[in-house]
Amino acid sequence: MSGVLIIAEQRRGEMRPVTLELIAAAQNLRRDADEVAVAVLASAPERFVDALKVAGVDEIITVPVAAAEFDPDTFESAIGALISARKPDVVLVAHSVDSFGYAAALAAKLGLGFATDVFKTERIDGELVATRGGYGQKVCVEVDFPGRATVLLAIRANMFKPPEAAGAARVSAFAAPAPASRSAGRDFIELSAGDDVDMTAAEFILTIGRGIGEEAKVPVFRELADAVGATLGCSRPIADAGWLPKSRQVGQSGKTASACKLYIAMGVSGAIQHLAGMKHVATIVAVNSDAEASIFGVAKYGIVGDIFEIAEELRRHF
Amino acid sequence: MSSSRTDAVTRILFEAFSTAEVRLFYALGFAAIGIFLYGVYVQIRKYRRGAPLRLEGSWWGRLTDMGAKVLSHSTLKRRDPAAGAAHRLIFYGFVLLFLGTATITLEYDILEPLFGIRFWHGGFYLIFSLVLDAAGVALIGGLAFMMYRRGWLKPPKLDYARPDRAPGDADFDRPQYRREDWAFLWTLLIIGCTGYLLEAARLVWLSGRPDVWDTRWWSPAGALLAEALRALGVSAHGGEVLRVSLWWFHGLLALCFIALIPYSKVKHIFTSAASLLARDPLAAQRLPRIPEAQEAPGVAKITDFNWKQLLNLDACTKCGRCHEACPARAVGAPLSPRDVILSLREFANATLEGGALPAAAELDVHGKGPGQIAQETLWSCRTCMACVEICPVAVEHVPIIVQLRRKLVEDGDMDPLLTKTLQTIHKTGNSFGESKRKRGSWSKSLPFKIKDARKEPVEVLWFVGDYASFDPRNQKVTQTFATLLHEAGVDFGILYDGESNAGNDVRRVGEEGLYEVLAGANVAALNGATFQSIVTTDPHSYNTIRNEYPEFGGSYRIEHYTSFVHRLIAEGRLNVDRQLKLRTTFHDPCHLGRFNRGYEPPRELLRMLGCEIVEMGRSRANSFCCGAGGGRIWIPDPVGTEKPAQNRIKEAAAIPGLEVYVVSCPKDLTMFEDALKTTGNEGKFVVKELIELVREAVAAPRPTEVSA
Amino acid sequence: MKILVAVKQVAALDEDFAIREDGRDVDPDFLIRDLNEWDDFSLEEAVKIKEASADPVEVVVVSVGPGEADESLRKCLAKGADRAIRVWDDAMEGSDPIAIARVLAAVAKRENPALLFAGVQSSDHGFAATGMAAAAFLAWPHAAVVCSLQYAPGAARAVFRRELEGGLLHEVEIECPAVLTVQLGINTPRYASLRSIKQAAAKPIEVLGLADLQLGGGEVGEAGSASRVRRMYIPDKGRAQLIEGDVAQQAQRLAAIIREFKGETP
Repeated sequence: MSGVLIIAEQRRGEMRPVTLELIAAAQNLRRDADEVAVAVLASAPERFVDALKVAGVDEIITVPVAAAEFDPDTFESAIGALISARKPDVVLVAHSVDSFGYAAALAAKLGLGFATDVFKTERIDGELVATRGGYGQKVCVEVDFPGRATVLLAIRANMFKPPEAAGAARVSAFAAPAPASRSAGRDFIELSAGDDVDMTAAEFILTIGRGIGEEAKVPVFRELADAVGATLGCSRPIADAGWLPKSRQVGQSGKTASACKLYIAMGVSGAIQHLAGMKHVATIVAVNSDAEASIFGVAKYGIVGDIFEIAEELRRHF
Repeated sequence: MSSSRTDAVTRILFEAFSTAEVRLFYALGFAAIGIFLYGVYVQIRKYRRGAPLRLEGSWWGRLTDMGAKVLSHSTLKRRDPAAGAAHRLIFYGFVLLFLGTATITLEYDILEPLFGIRFWHGGFYLIFSLVLDAAGVALIGGLAFMMYRRGWLKPPKLDYARPDRAPGDADFDRPQYRREDWAFLWTLLIIGCTGYLLEAARLVWLSGRPDVWDTRWWSPAGALLAEALRALGVSAHGGEVLRVSLWWFHGLLALCFIALIPYSKVKHIFTSAASLLARDPLAAQRLPRIPEAQEAPGVAKITDFNWKQLLNLDACTKCGRCHEACPARAVGAPLSPRDVILSLREFANATLEGGALPAAAELDVHGKGPGQIAQETLWSCRTCMACVEICPVAVEHVPIIVQLRRKLVEDGDMDPLLTKTLQTIHKTGNSFGESKRKRGSWSKSLPFKIKDARKEPVEVLWFVGDYASFDPRNQKVTQTFATLLHEAGVDFGILYDGESNAGNDVRRVGEEGLYEVLAGANVAALNGATFQSIVTTDPHSYNTIRNEYPEFGGSYRIEHYTSFVHRLIAEGRLNVDRQLKLRTTFHDPCHLGRFNRGYEPPRELLRMLGCEIVEMGRSRANSFCCGAGGGRIWIPDPVGTEKPAQNRIKEAAAIPGLEVYVVSCPKDLTMFEDALKTTGNEGKFVVKELIELVREAVAAPRPTEVSA
Repeated sequence: MKILVAVKQVAALDEDFAIREDGRDVDPDFLIRDLNEWDDFSLEEAVKIKEASADPVEVVVVSVGPGEADESLRKCLAKGADRAIRVWDDAMEGSDPIAIARVLAAVAKRENPALLFAGVQSSDHGFAATGMAAAAFLAWPHAAVVCSLQYAPGAARAVFRRELEGGLLHEVEIECPAVLTVQLGINTPRYASLRSIKQAAAKPIEVLGLADLQLGGGEVGEAGSASRVRRMYIPDKGRAQLIEGDVAQQAQRLAAIIREFKGETP
C-alpha cells in the first residue's frame, strides 16, 4: 500500500499536456521511499513512453487496451485491476472530460477515497489533505479521507508546473482484463465551420462575455478587436446563444488559447470553466462593471467600468 | 284665391301615390328594417360569443359621460380639428335629418292614426323645414370636406399599408377598406343631394299651389334648386315625373343604407357609442387580473376576448390616430395598434358571424395567417398607451395586447434575454440579478443614515425602484434626492431589502403570475410599515402602486417626486437660491404624464427653478415614448433600426439653443443619455434628471444648518 | 417507458456571507437556493424525448434533500416532469456525491427507468461525480458530458456526442438502459411561468426515507461518503491591479498595455 499512481491522458495519438502537470502534483505526495508510476492506457501504449520520461517519474506502466480511444468500461476495468494489483496510496487523474466519464464510477465501485477539481494537495500529520473550491469557487474546502487505503484525486489543470528536466524511468507492462465494453466510440468531430480562426495560435485575444448584453453589440467588439489587432473570442454563453461560432469559444470546452500572451476579457465574469483555459496567460486584463466579478481575482490588471464606454474610448487610440 | 293659410301648410306624404305603391313602400321599409334587425342580431350574437364581463360604475355616469363626448365631439377634435369639425357637421346633419324623419313617422304612423294628434303643420312645419335644410347642407358640406381630405390631402394616417405584413401576404393590402370608405361617403352624399333635388322637383311640380310655392323659401336649398330647374325649362309636369323617380331612388337608396348599417362601416354609429359607453378610463393604467375561472392565462382564441373587446374591434373607424401616435410604428417596428384591432376584427367577423361556431383550432388568433397577430407584432409594443389615450371611440388596445402576450409568456415564446430577466426577477426581486441585500447599498456613501421604514414609523415612505437602486447612473440621482429630502427635514425612510421590483413592467410583459408574487410581496412590506404617504422617483412604480395595488390589498396615498418637491419649495422647506436660466424642454414620462395626467407639476417646478421651457411638438398627452416600456428594455432591438429614444432626441435637437433635455424617470435617463450619443448630439445639449436641476438651484446648506 | 432525471437544489452565496461556527460550511442564512443550471438542460432533454414520442413516456424527477428542495422539484413539474420524488433522512446530512449516488441508484432500482439523466456537475460544488457514481452502483453503461443525444424511447441503444476540450466532439454509441450526464447548451430549456409553477404546487411530491430504499444509516451521510470536509475558509483573493481614473484615462492605459505588448513582437 504505497506510492502514487498517475493515469496518463492521451487522445488521438497525442499525450495530453495535463499528464505532466499530474507528475508535478505527485511529487509532494511521496512518503519516504514511495514511487511515482505513470500508467498509459492505449491500443499502442509504448508510443507514449518517451514523452513520459521526465523528472519525478520512477516507472512507466504500459497498459494495452482494445479500445482505440477513451472508453469508460475499458478504463474502469483496466485501472481497477491495476489498483488492485499495485495498491497505491494515491491515484491521480486529470479533472477532465475523460475523467468525468470514469473517475467517480471507479471510486464508487472500489470504495476509494475521492475528491475532484483539486488544486492543492498536502500531507498533514501524515494524512492526505486535498483542497478544492466550493460555492462557485468563492470558498476553499479542505477535505481528507479517513479510513481509505487508496484515494483517487482528480487534479485541476493549469495549477501545477510541468517538470522540465528529463528523467529515467523503468518501463513495465500490465496485462489488463478485457471485458466487452457497453459503449463504442465512433468519430471525432472538429468544431470549426464558418470561421477559419485558430484560437490555439492566437497570441493576443479579446474576449467578450455575457456583459455585452445583446447580439447587436457583437459587431462593436469585432471591430474593436480588428482595430487593436486581437483575435475575437467569446465565453460559453455567447457561443451557446449562437452570437459567435463555437470556434471562437475560449474556456474549458472551447479552444485552448495555448499561445496567448495578452488576454483582454470584456464583460466576462470569470466562471471557473472559462478561467480554466486562461491560467497560463502572462497578462490578463479584465474589464467588467461588477467590482466583485471573479475574473478580477485572476487578472493582472482590472478596469471596473462600463465595457461599452471603455471600448469606444479604446477604439479612438487605434 | 286667398293667401296661403300658413297654419295649414304641411307636406302631404305619399301625395299622388296609389295605395299599392304606398303598401309597396311600407313593405320595402319593413324589409329594410328586418334586414337591419337581423344584422344587429348577428353582431350581438358575435359579442355574446366572447367571454363575460361586468362593467364597473353606474350606468347613469357612463351614459352622461358618453353623451357628453358624443355631443361635444371632444375626442374627435383632438389632433385633427378639421376632421373633427367636418364630422360634427356630418353627425349633427345626420342626427337632425334622422330626428326629422322620426318626427314625421311619429305623427303619420302612430299619433295621427291612433289618437288623431297632428302637429306637423303651420309654423312648426316651416321651421322644421328650415332646420332640416340647414342640416342637409351641413351633412353634405361635411361629407365634401371628408372626400377632399381623403382624396386630395391624403393624410399619412389614412394610409392602410400595414407594418406587420409583407407584400404577397393575403391581407397585406386592403383595397376593400378603401372601397367601403368611398362607398359610404358617396352613398350618403347621393342620398343628401337627391334629397334636395327631390325637394326641388316637388316644388316645381306643385308650383301652382300657393301654400307650397309661397312658402318655398323656408326650404332655401330646395327652393334655389327649384329656381334652377325652372330656369332649365322643367315644367310642372316634368317636375312631377322627376319627383316620382327621385322619390323612389332616394327612398330605396336610403332604405338600403339603413338595412346595411350593421353589415358595413356605418355600424360605427352604434358600436362607437357603445364602446364609449363601456369604456374603462383606467384601461391601460390598471390591467385586468386573470379571472379565477379561466384555465389558461391570456387570450389564445378569439372567443377568449370579452364582449367589450369584441365590441371595441367593431367600434374602430380606421381614423388612424393610434397608428400615427404609436412609437413602435414610428421607428418601423411591425406594430400598428390600428392593424392589431382591424386584423382581429376581420378574424372575428370571419369566425363568429356564422350560425355555428367553428372548431377551436380555427379560433386561434396567434400566428401569421390572415387576421392573426404575429409574435413580433405583440413584442414590439411599449405599452405607452398613446393609442388608448388618443382613440376617439375608446378602443382599449393595450389590455388586448397584454392579454395576447400572457399566452405567449405561458408558452415561453419570448426573447431569451426577456426570459432570463423574468427568471432573475423571480429569484432576486430585481431585474439586475443583484442580491436583495444590496438594494439599499446606494445609501451607504451618504453622510446620514436613512431610516428603515420596516423598523420604525416614518412620515413619508420612499419607494425607490429597481433602476434607481441598482443602475450606477441613476444611483447618483437617487443619492441627490435623498440629500434634498434630508435638507428639507422630511421624515422619510425606505424599505431596504423589503422592497422588490414594483412589477409594472412585468405585468405589461404578460407574466401575471410573477406580477402577483411581486405585488403581494410589496403590499405585505408596505402594510407592515407605518407611514402617511408614499413618494417615488419612478413613474412605473408610481403607476402600479397607485392604480393596481389596491386590487391586491394595498391602497396608499402616493405622489411622484415632481409634485412632492414642488410642494416642498412652495412651502419654503427647500429654497431656490439661484435661478438656473436654462433653455430646457421637458419630456413627459409615459407613466407619469399620459397614464396619470401629471403634466403640470414638473413644469411648474422647472419654472420655479428659473428655467425657460420650450415644448417639443409631441408633448403632454402626445409625448413620445422613450421605448423602454412594456418590457422592451429587456428585449434587444433589431440591429440597424432607429430606436424611439433616438427619434425623440432628434425632435429635441431641432429646438434652437436647447441646453437641457429634462427627464423625470430613471428609464428615460438611461435611454436618452444613450440616444444623445448615438444620434451624434453629444455636446449640443445635455440630458438631466429634474432632481439634478433642483440640486443645482437649491444650494446645500452649511453644516450647521442641517438638522440631525 | 420512463426517464428518471436526478436534480439538485444548489446553493449560491449571498452578499457578506460568513463561515459557520464549526468552520466546515457557510452560515445557512447566506445561502440562496435554486435549481442547478445543468438540471434545466437535462430535464428539458427528457421532456423533449417525451414530447417527440408517439408512445407514452413518463419523466420522473428525483432529488436528495430536505423540505426546501420541494421548490426546485415544483419548478421541474412546471417544466414538464410528470412526477417528483424527494428523498431525505436526517442521516443523509453531510453526504458527498458518492453517498448521494448510492441513494439515487436505490431510487433508480425502484423506478426502473430506461435512462437516468443527471447534470455534468452542480454549480455550487462542481464535483462532476454524482451521475457516474450512481451508474457504478447500478452497474449500468454510462457516459459524461453529453452535448447531443439521439434516442428512440425503448430502444436498445442510444447515440450521443461528448463535448471534449478544445472544441472537439466525440460520437459514441451506448447500450441502454444507461446513465448520462448532460452538458449545458444541449437544448434550450423552456420557460416555466409563475402560474404553471403555482399550479404544479398542487401536484404531490412523493417523499421517501431510508427504509423505503432499504438503505442503512452507514451508507449515507458522512459515513457513506468518500471524503470528509475538514475546513472551509475564504481565500485571500488575488487581486488585479485596478486601473483608476475616468474612462479616457483607463482606455489610455489599456492602449498603452496593448502597444507595449505589440512592441515586443517584431
